[in-house]
Amino acid sequence: MPPKRAPAPEIKPPVDFSPSLVLADSATLTGTHRIRIGANTVVHPRCKLNSTLGPITIGRSCIISERTQLVAPDAQGLAIGDGVVVEVNALVEAREVGEGSTVEVGHCKLAPLTRVADGEVLEDYTVLYGAGERRIDKSGQEGARRKLLEMHVESLRVLIPSNASKWMS
Amino acid sequence: MPPKQTKGEYIETDTGNKVSRKSVILGSQNIILGGKTIIQADCTIRGDLRRTVAPGQQSGNVAIAVGRYCFLSRSSVLRPPGKIARGIYSYYPMKIGDHVFVGEGSVVEAALIGSYVHISKDCVIGKFTIIKDCVRIEEGTVIAPNSVIPSFSVVSGRPGVVVAELPETAVEGLERA
Repeated sequence: MPPKRAPAPEIKPPVDFSPSLVLADSATLTGTHRIRIGANTVVHPRCKLNSTLGPITIGRSCIISERTQLVAPDAQGLAIGDGVVVEVNALVEAREVGEGSTVEVGHCKLAPLTRVADGEVLEDYTVLYGAGERRIDKSGQEGARRKLLEMHVESLRVLIPSNASKWMS
Repeated sequence: MPPKQTKGEYIETDTGNKVSRKSVILGSQNIILGGKTIIQADCTIRGDLRRTVAPGQQSGNVAIAVGRYCFLSRSSVLRPPGKIARGIYSYYPMKIGDHVFVGEGSVVEAALIGSYVHISKDCVIGKFTIIKDCVRIEEGTVIAPNSVIPSFSVVSGRPGVVVAELPETAVEGLERA
């Protein structure tokens, strides 16, 4: 626990934002590499994006919740696909998170508090839960999930004031 | 929050709530604290995720209601649950009773938590969970969304299941000054 609230980062990373992005005021972006965020993505307050070691690319219609940390692991950077939901308290240091994934605390779902080892590759439609158990879920709910996500983004757009201009210099 | 010049760790309100200056409270106008509640540093409360209603309709303003004598430990998160109903995605109010303890690093997205509930460290309470009165949630439990936990149960594991029952005298142990 830091004794003081961290001071505002002096060096702002170069950013590439879509105009329809919702980036909360208290989200923090640090690092020196480029951070790209696609259209209709919502970044909740107090989310931390760190591009010190590589670029971060976030796709369209993503929801990045509060207290999550997205950290680029190396120079290849971190790529998050379209329609990804990252839930509260998650730490993402992956190289790639596929389209439509849900990280709860490519069509993968990680239940809360589960861990994926370094360098591991998860197949499409994998569900990871409990103490490392996993299964393949091909129930074909992508359409419904996508619709829910789009409605979720719409409602958050109303609720969260965006201040993306703070990071554009 | 009123700008008080006394430099303590906590800000005390008229009803005796103690709120850490280092806590993250969003949408404080939508949060009700019953009194004598303690909120520790780094605790996040998402009062800004309130109900979305069709334009022109009157919206209830309470997103999170917390009772009396509650204790929210460091790094805990209270976040109203959301779902689609009648064609719109909306967040629903979260109600927490009296004498509720939320441990360090726990994430609570419950719809309703009764009184005398003890949630230990690093728990995840899924969306729209209903926890009745006098329940103990053990450390590291993950409760699945939409669960209902009956009174006097001890819940543990991933996913959280009822592993034991509490005696009827447990209320006294869960009640704190």
